[in-house]
Amino acid sequence: MIDIQLIGLLNATLQAATLLFIAALGELITEKSGILNLGVEGMISVGAVTGFMTAINTENIFFAVLVGVLSSSVFASIHALVTVVLKQDQTVSGLILTILGLALSSLLGKNYVGRKLVTKLESVTSITEPSNIIEVLISQNIIFYVAIVLMIGTSFLLKRTMFGRRLEAVGEDSKSSDSMGLKVAKTQFIATCVGGAFAGLSGVYLTLSYVPYWTDNMTSGRGWIALALVIFGGWKPYRTALGAILFGFLEALVPRLQTYGFELSPYIVKITPYVITILVLVILTIYKGGKTGAPKNIGVPFFRENR
Amino acid sequence: MNNLKLFKRQTVNELSTFYSFLIGFIIAIIIGSIILLIQDKNPIDTFSLMLRLSVGSIKSLSSSLNKAIPLILAGLGISIINSVKLWNIGAEGQIFLGAIAVNFIYINTQFNSPSFHILVLLLAGFVGGSVCILIPAITKVVFGVNEIITTLLTNYIVFGVTIYLINGPWKDPKSLNFPAAAYVGEEVFLPTIFGKLSFGFLICILFTFLAHYLKNKSVFGFEMRIAGGSAMTAVYAGINAKQKAFIAMLIGGGFAGLAGAIELLSQTHRVSTGISQGFGYTAIIVAAITGMRPFGIFLVGSLFGALSIGGSVIQTIGVSTYIADIIQASTLFGALIIQFFFNYQIKRVDDD
Repeated sequence: MIDIQLIGLLNATLQAATLLFIAALGELITEKSGILNLGVEGMISVGAVTGFMTAINTENIFFAVLVGVLSSSVFASIHALVTVVLKQDQTVSGLILTILGLALSSLLGKNYVGRKLVTKLESVTSITEPSNIIEVLISQNIIFYVAIVLMIGTSFLLKRTMFGRRLEAVGEDSKSSDSMGLKVAKTQFIATCVGGAFAGLSGVYLTLSYVPYWTDNMTSGRGWIALALVIFGGWKPYRTALGAILFGFLEALVPRLQTYGFELSPYIVKITPYVITILVLVILTIYKGGKTGAPKNIGVPFFRENR
Repeated sequence: MNNLKLFKRQTVNELSTFYSFLIGFIIAIIIGSIILLIQDKNPIDTFSLMLRLSVGSIKSLSSSLNKAIPLILAGLGISIINSVKLWNIGAEGQIFLGAIAVNFIYINTQFNSPSFHILVLLLAGFVGGSVCILIPAITKVVFGVNEIITTLLTNYIVFGVTIYLINGPWKDPKSLNFPAAAYVGEEVFLPTIFGKLSFGFLICILFTFLAHYLKNKSVFGFEMRIAGGSAMTAVYAGINAKQKAFIAMLIGGGFAGLAGAIELLSQTHRVSTGISQGFGYTAIIVAAITGMRPFGIFLVGSLFGALSIGGSVIQTIGVSTYIADIIQASTLFGALIIQFFFNYQIKRVDDD
């Protein structure tokens, strides 16, 4: 007999982890190409609101997911244009992408605050109250399984495909890659847009299942935690997933501590994910002593010298 | 065969940042107009209303400049920290902690001279901002933890602490519907210069010159630039790069904390969630768009202050306040795009 609270905890862990993981995985792909995109928070927000609006207006859930993913991807292409094509500062561009994304989604979603969804992203089986671990694992939301496929797919893509090898080469040494005939700008542009698409998927999961409603600034720092997760995972998909589960667990555990007999102020519960993220980053940096596994060219604009 | 190739320009126009900003602003106004048109609003009417209500009278001009104070001070702080090539995304939290520090000192101390009292409270705000960036600064300097993420995350932590304080220990029983701390006494309100313009604006001017001196004229500024440049040069020059980075971060955080103190003593008069309405984030745009130049930050901060006031008053005709945010962010994107053409040259080259 497994504790019903434990089942609930596991369920909540997987849901929170899925949300963080997909966005982190997208950022991982972008960063592998040597482009740092600090706009994750804004991209999630854009995907979240466009997906939600489409779901309200068309009541077609798959179309809503598609719109959310595509609009985030198009939004990310602003960053690609400014940093890849026009070679401007990646930190500045990414930060502004976040600010613009949050403002834009608040503007778009103004008339959608408090609206109720008719159709949501549902779990794949009809089990509503899982009673054991197996049932938890088979009753998750469809996006959870998509995330697993994406994880395996990304790992395969990075290690075993030409595109993945090219991506890594460009991110490690864009000058040599260029002289070997690889298309640096094209690779980086695609990687940035793919990162945006992943953030968009994370966003639609947020508004179409995880919460599910729309309100201003509802991403509440998850994009930044996703950025920290990429560092935590050492730019490796499986380790990033492990990190997401750890963060998801903590996010799920802290509000439940009260049921286990701990007295905790709800205000302290709210700030714990951010405190833990900082703590984890510090411990990790000390432990690794500078060898983080980051792509060498990250943040450096590529420019082919012409004479 | 004809080919387009990219060349880095040998000399870049000195005023390129200014021109980029100007053209970027025009691009942003066009984007804003498109959004207004989509919402069935006349852009010319809306923008002229915004202009009239933000700079059209002494009263509105003074509230615009009041709004500019936190943008300028936080922007200056960001620019000082950027001298050592570090980013401060935590100005929003530093503004809040500055205000919290002011209230803490106000509750726990007693002074006979109001002007001295105000001075102590302003100092408390500065220290509060420095304390807020202390953990990101230590973890950056000692362990090398990415300061962009840590400063950003402290925003959420400080905001959580603010919510806790105004709902818990500092909750004013008289403020029932809107959680907030009790008002500070009128004796510590900052005086006004003219209209509603707060004395804080003079502090702002003073600190703009101070930041300019610190960054560009002082020995410390020179050392900061070397520390932020190459690690080897710093070693050869005998400069302790980590120490410079640490001090720069504390000073920069202090500037934003001071903004929080002024906001409390001249605008809100109490700690509430209204201490900052995203000033710390807008300040990043202000600092980046000017290439981290203090006088530029002063001018663009003033313009964006007016834009924010304009944005908040057009709510009454059913236009979202976010239009101001979008114009500000688009200005920077536009400026980045234009800056490219100042830095690079596209030439048609015949391949052999």
